[in-house]
This record gives sequence, C-alpha cells and structure tokens, in this order.
Amino acid sequence: MGILVPLYLAGLTALSLPLILHLVRRTPRGRQEFSSLMFLSPTPPRLTRRSRLDQVLLLLLRLAALALVTLAFCRPFLREAASLTFADLTGKRLAILIDTSASMKRGDLWQQAIKAAEKQLDDLNPQDDVALFTFSDRLRTIIDFQKEGAPPIPNKPQLVRNQLNSLQPDWMPTDLGTALVAVAGELDTSGDVRQSPLEPQIVVISDFQSGSRIEALQTFEWPERVPVVTLTVAPLKTTNAHAQVLPAEEGNELGDARVRVVNAADSRGDQFTVEWAEAESSGARTDVYVPPGQTRIIRLPRGAENLQMDRVVLRGDEHDFDNTFFVVPPRQLEATLLYAGRDAAEDPEGLQLYLRLAVANDPLRRVDVRPLDVTKPLTAPGDIEPKIALVSQPVTEELRTALMKFVEQGGVLLLVPDGDEAATSVATFFDDVEFSRVAGDTVGANESRSEKYLLLGEIDFTHPLFAPFASPRYSDFTKIHFWKHRVVTLKPPATTRVVARFDNGDPALLERSVGKGRVLAMTSGWQPADSQLALSSKFVPLVGALLDLACGGTEVAEGVAVGQPMTLPSSKQPEPIVVQTPDGREVRLESDAATFAETDRTGIYRAKVGSTETRFAVNLSPSESLTTPMDLEQLEQRGVRIGTELTRTQRIDRVRQQRDTELESRQKVWRWLIVVALGLLALETWWAGRAERKIAVEQM
Amino acid sequence: MTAPNNTAAVRSKSRASSYIDPATLMRIKNLELRAKLVVDGFLSGLHRSPYHGFSVEFTEYRQYSPGDDLRFLDWRLFARSDRFYLKRFEDETNLRCYLLVDLSRSMGFHSAALKYDKAEYAKTVAATIAYFLTLQRDAVGLITFDQAIREYVPARFRSGHLHRLMMLLEHQLAGTATNIGLPLEQVARTARKRGVVVLLSDLLAPIEMLETKLGYLRSQGHEVVVIRTLDPVEVGFHFSEESMFFDLESGRELYVDPQAARTDYLDRFDAHAKSLTRVCSGLGIDVYQLTTDQPLDLALFDLLNSRMRRGRQVARRRRV
Repeated sequence: MGILVPLYLAGLTALSLPLILHLVRRTPRGRQEFSSLMFLSPTPPRLTRRSRLDQVLLLLLRLAALALVTLAFCRPFLREAASLTFADLTGKRLAILIDTSASMKRGDLWQQAIKAAEKQLDDLNPQDDVALFTFSDRLRTIIDFQKEGAPPIPNKPQLVRNQLNSLQPDWMPTDLGTALVAVAGELDTSGDVRQSPLEPQIVVISDFQSGSRIEALQTFEWPERVPVVTLTVAPLKTTNAHAQVLPAEEGNELGDARVRVVNAADSRGDQFTVEWAEAESSGARTDVYVPPGQTRIIRLPRGAENLQMDRVVLRGDEHDFDNTFFVVPPRQLEATLLYAGRDAAEDPEGLQLYLRLAVANDPLRRVDVRPLDVTKPLTAPGDIEPKIALVSQPVTEELRTALMKFVEQGGVLLLVPDGDEAATSVATFFDDVEFSRVAGDTVGANESRSEKYLLLGEIDFTHPLFAPFASPRYSDFTKIHFWKHRVVTLKPPATTRVVARFDNGDPALLERSVGKGRVLAMTSGWQPADSQLALSSKFVPLVGALLDLACGGTEVAEGVAVGQPMTLPSSKQPEPIVVQTPDGREVRLESDAATFAETDRTGIYRAKVGSTETRFAVNLSPSESLTTPMDLEQLEQRGVRIGTELTRTQRIDRVRQQRDTELESRQKVWRWLIVVALGLLALETWWAGRAERKIAVEQM
Repeated sequence: MTAPNNTAAVRSKSRASSYIDPATLMRIKNLELRAKLVVDGFLSGLHRSPYHGFSVEFTEYRQYSPGDDLRFLDWRLFARSDRFYLKRFEDETNLRCYLLVDLSRSMGFHSAALKYDKAEYAKTVAATIAYFLTLQRDAVGLITFDQAIREYVPARFRSGHLHRLMMLLEHQLAGTATNIGLPLEQVARTARKRGVVVLLSDLLAPIEMLETKLGYLRSQGHEVVVIRTLDPVEVGFHFSEESMFFDLESGRELYVDPQAARTDYLDRFDAHAKSLTRVCSGLGIDVYQLTTDQPLDLALFDLLNSRMRRGRQVARRRRV
C-alpha cells in the first residue's frame, strides 16, 4: 500500500459533499449589522424545492464514477497468498563484530555487548548464516561462515552463543577501520563467488569511542551490497581520565616525572589525583584539576623514597581500565667485588681508594668491595655471589687456580698490575702475551715513566666496557694522560683481544674469554702515579660498565603501547631470549629475535638477553583512553553504507510490501476501474440528456 | 413623530423651506463648522432668565429678613423710609444646559442609503445646540455615555469651553450596551441649579428604569428634552434579503427573514415608542423623534419650541 493511499481513500469522503450541499440548510449569504436585536426574533428556515432530491439515479451514477476513480488511484490488487511466514524471508549472512578493546572494560559495557549480540542471535532464521568476529587492534575470527561444500553446522546460533560467553575484552587499542574492511571484503567476495542469495550484513557492537582508528576505510571502496548496522553500547557514568608519564628530560631521568593528564570530553568530573604506586602501596601524590576535554601536564615529585615505584596511578574518575601507567623503576643492583691488592683502602696512591669511591653513592647499585682471601672459598654461604674480582698484586699459583676457576664459572677478572712482579704474573693468565720491554722512565725492569704522556688512541666502542661512551658526545678520551704503562707483545696467532690501544700502538686493555667468564688486563693503572684515569670523568662510568659486564646490566628500554612489538637488544650469545610477561608467563624467543610481539597486556616485561636483563613497560595505547563517543557520520563519510536494524517482523513487512507492489503492477486493476467509471459517466450523460428533454417537454 | 400637533405643522412647513440637507452637511468634517452652519441665520435673541442674582440690571425690591446678604441692602431707601429692603438683579448667566449624548455602538448603525450613522447625526445635533446656546451666553455641559459615563463636562460659559465640547464629541464609539439611567443620575447629582437637560439617544434599551430617573430630574426642577435619533430603516425595517442579523452592541447573531419578521418588528417597535412617550408625557417631558435623513435645524427648533412652551406654562401658572 502506497503512502498516498490513505489520502486517496480519504478523498472518498468527498462523495458525501453533494448530499450535504443538497440537504443541509442553506446558511444565509448576507450578514446584516443592526443596531439592536431587541425587537427581532429568529425566523425558522423555509423549506425550498432545492432541498429535495429529484434525480437520485443521476446522483448515484456520478457518485459511483467518482468512487471508482478514487479507487483506481489507490491501485488495488488481489492478494494471492494470505500471509508470509519467517521461512519466506530471504536468508541473511550476518557477521557479528564485537569490540574487545580495552575501553570495553568500562562499567557494564561488555555485558551490554553480549546482550546485544544474543539479541541478534535470537532474531535469526534457520536459513540465515552467522559468523562471530572480535576486533581490537586486529580482527579475530571466532566462528566463521559456513564453508562451501562443508557439512552444515547444526544449531550454529547456539554455538556462537557459547563462544560469546567465553570472550573477554583485552587491553588492545581499537582499529575499527581494519576490522570493517576485512569483514566487508570477505562478505563481498564470498557472495560474488558463490552467487549466494543470502543478504550480507555486518552488525558492529562497540562503544564507538573517538579513539577508534578508522583510517583503513579511507582507501577502501565499500561494497554497496554490504550494510553495516551499528549497535552502540554506552556506560551510565562517563567520567574518564588517564595519566601518561612523558619521557624525562635528558640528565633528569631520576628526577620528577612529567605526567600528562587527559580528561575525556564527556566527563562530568574534573578533579583527579595522580600518585606513585607499587603493587600494594602508594607514594607521593599530586592533585590536578582538568576540565572535561582538556589536558594538563603536571610534575609528580619522585624523590628517593618513590624511586622503586613502578607505576603512576590516577584516581578520581569512574573507569579504572586506563588509570595505571607503568614505569620501569631503576633497579638497585647488589654486587660483591673481590679485591686483591697490596695497597690500603685509604691509600691515595693506590687503586683501591678510587675504586671504592667510584662505586659508592650509586643509587642504582650497592657494591660491597671485599678483600680476596685465597684461604677461604670465594663465595660465603648467604652472601651475594661475587661476579667480579680485581687483582693488582702478584698472583700465586694457588690464587691463579682459584681465579681461573672463578672465571670459568662466569666471573670477570680484571688484572691491574701494580709492579713488575704483578705484571709478570698477569702474563700467566694469557697464553699469547709477553711483557717484552719497558716504556717511560725506568723504575723497575719492566716499568716505564714517560715524560711524554700517552693517550688512548684506538678504542673498540663495541666492547661492553666502552659501549656507554659510543656516542660522539662522550667518546673523547684525549684528555686522560697516561705516563706509565707496561709494554706487552702479542704472540701470533693471538687469541687475546686488544680492546684499547695507546696512541703509540701499545695495547692498553686486553681481554680473553675463559669458560663462561672473561679475563681483562690493563697495562696501566688508574692510580695518580700511572695516569689521570681515576681523576677523569670517564672513570665512574667505566667502573659502572665493568660492573654491568660482570653482574648484568640494568637496561631500561623505552616502553611501548599494548600490541606494539618491542625491539629487543641484539644478543651475540647463543642462548635463547626469555621474556617474562607481567602475569608470570615466560616466552622463549630465538637468540637472533629482534622484536617481541606478544605485548598483549599492560605491565612490566623482563627480557633476558644473555647476561643483561632488559625491562620494559607496556602501557595502554593513549588513543584507547579517548572514550568520548565518535560521530557515526564519520563512517558514512568514508563510504560505509550504514543500514538500519530490522527485526524479523519488520523484514517480513518489507517483503510483503515488495510483493504487493509486484502484484499490483502485474494485475493493473486500476485500468478496469477507470474503464467502468468512463462507462458510468457515459450512462450518466445519456440519462441526464433524457431527463432534461423530459422536463423541457413538460414545461412546454 | 411624537411631537405636539402645532409643532408638527410648523416643522412640516419649515421642511419645505430652505433647510440644509443633512447628507450635504455631514460631508463637512469639522463638527464646529457644521454647528455654525446650522445655527447661522437662526433667529437669535436673549430670553428672560428665571434666575436672579448680582447683576447690573435691577428687577425688584424684597424686604430684608435676617440672614440675607447685607451687600445687597439699599441704604438709600433705608435712609428715606427707615426700612430694610434688598435690591434684586437679573442673573447674567441665564441657562444651564446639559447635553447627554449616547455614544454606544448601537448609535453606529446607518442604513445603506445614508453615508453617516446615528452617532454622527446626534453629535452634530449636540454641537448645534451647544453652539447656539453659547452664542446666547448660556452655560453648556456635556455627558457622553454608553453602558457607563465616558466624558463629563460641567455646564460652563467661558472661552474655549465650546471647543472642548466639540473635541469630546469627536470620540469614537464604544461599549457593548446602553445605560440611559447613568447620565441622568449624574446630572441630578451634580447640577445644583435648575437647567435644561437634553438627552440625545436612540433609546433602544429597556425603559423600565427611565421613568424613575427622569422623574427624579424633573422633581429637581430641571427641564428635560428627549431627542430620539433613529435611522429611517430602524423605523420602517425596510430589509428584503434574509440574512444573519448582527447586534452591534452585544455581538449576538440571529437569522432573520425580513419578510416574515417585519410585522412583528414594527409592532414591538411601536409598543416601545408608545411606552416611552407615555412615560415622558406623564412627567411633562417632550420627546422628539428625529430620523437621520431629517434636517438638523429641526432639532434646534424642537429645543426652542420646548422652551417656549415651558415658558408659557410657567407664565400661565404664575397668572393662576
């Protein structure tokens, strides 16, 4: 039935007009103003000849002709089938696409989404096909469409319903565009290939937050036959803010943190608190006022007491899913350094004093410098296992054996001979090294004191000891003068590696790998008699690098967002890389793996690459915190065909209307009605003429 | 026409003479000019005042009685006769006339043949009388009314007073009813001295209370003249088309077939007129009916005629 049919039918009421005109009392045409009606009384209407119906047949003929024309405008038809059932509906291929991004953890959004999906399943017909997809940063197929040629899956809606209950939102950001493109592409191509009569349709159940990415739709030509029905789930409470710790300024890594606090545009609250926190305790806090839709940068004081706290928590909003921002805390390393030397701990001419000064006051390490006692085991029960030993005195055979065993088990031994005897004993650790001659002013047989100082000329910055100085900004060693060194000769084929040389080509630092550890030997010490090294700015970082080499580094890598691959430091060791996730799971990677991709939740990850443990924080994508609902017209602007949600009954109505239109255009009953109306008018004309002649004759 | 026979004869004779055609007269916009035109040429002359007061013209002596004003004592006569006599003089302000003009909506009616309504006619009559009396140095007051009193100006004779009266008469019609009793009450309450009260109205209102109010005025010694202003159609009910009749005052509508209703209307109208005449004649009040197609001079003539008859009656009474 067309939209105008009721209007046409209303036109039938006009048929009564002639009757009304005939029968109803004629109201006077004129209106006479008069000074007073006090002498007048109403006059009863007079019956005239006009009020009587003379030509009833003519009237009826004219009315019938008018009625037929009106009915013809209504375009009537004869319905063949009495009613339609749900089985008469064309089947549809329904793709249910559920948002599982982190923002769906808000309030009862997930429950709403599941309910919306179940409602879609309830409205399915037996001939419909359904598939279930979830999407966050990528599309996941939970239950696919019926494959061609495959046996039909019995009770598929129930299967989908069961799967629905096992789904949970994850921590990933939302990429709506990619998901839509993938599902639409699949629906379109599968329809083309199979020539399927099923109508494709995508139902997206999401919170449609403004942080959703839809760029992928830009380059995709949306298939015309695939409509998208959007079902938006919305929380009752909308106040949501998140805090993000920004990278620290250079040189202020351990200072106050810069925190960006963003409040969503549809928030109702504007007062928040940002604080340092650990698993079960919290530290310094700062209140911040951020009006809805705005951003503030604040400084969150850290101080020594909050140094080990690993997260910044925002409080005061109504949704917790994005309130924690993980920050890798600098780890305080505990290490034991064994020292064997003849100098006293406070001797300004010795090595030990400068060594102790270099490791003291380090906020990241607590180093215990202990004298090496050969008579006792190197590791006492309950102590931290020493990983580094420094020897400056002559080495006895017994000590050498113990030290070699220590090195083979993974220790690092640094030899810095303080005299000829010690230098001679150094050679016993290297098979291919001999102290051939003396340079500088001769004090002893193999010692030299040069008035003309030497400088470090050639340094291998790829070596872990010098890696921190690899940047051109820090690689200048030309201000450190060396007056005294021991000249060594390497016997070919040399397995000993020269890490640094003086500018005259003499080796300054030697290295040899033994077992799991390594032996390092310096040909010049850092005491003032030998060089300016201890007094230079390079000494403390160099000792730090030595400790890192021995005890493993405390690498802190830049964090990434959830779902982003983490670039791992390169490893030259054959051991596999082990990454420990925040939930305690261990993921083993090949030793040559460059990235770690399973960053599927927020928290602090630990990647063990060789002896170095790299920790990195994985946080929620900032876009996921933009929880203000997006304007769905943006999808239409990018070509997505937005459909309307129709229930089965509404679809049946629509089908019925289509069938009615087809029937009507086939039967064309209106033509016959017009023909009959014309016939009636012809009859009326003839009858009227006859009546007129009759009256004329009577009047004559 | 409800006027004495001799007056009717004079009026019918006068109509043949050169009265100004009211349709022509009404084309003049200015009310004062209209009045001047009507009065122009009308016989003018002072008439004897019935009042006495302080004036130049001596009339008679009266014996002193305690309480009289000593200013008017004739000391010379006292010197000659040793008796106290008061001198009496003619009052300069002769007549106090109150014009009561009905400006209700019913007065806004006019038939198709005439271009002016009853109110316009009545205003011109009032202006003419006012102008005429002002020329005679008489005091004129004005009350316009519908269901309430709209304007009230006490009777005065002073420069500018006439112009003020003319301005007030120019006011638009208003009101949804006519209450004739109110202006009569007002005059009875405020006029201390006896005078002439001229009521100009169509009197298309119940007249039950009229008798009481007029009687009260008459008892105060006022002379009352009722000039009933009607449209010729109201008198003859010459309508032909059946139509909805719309009451100008109440807004009531009534379907009327004039052919059927004419007799009934005329009967009721005559009955109303007769009862009005009966009430007025019982009180010694002259009622003159003027249709708006009649010359306005007649109104002035009616007023003077009424005054003359009244004067004769008084004279007769004195003689008796």
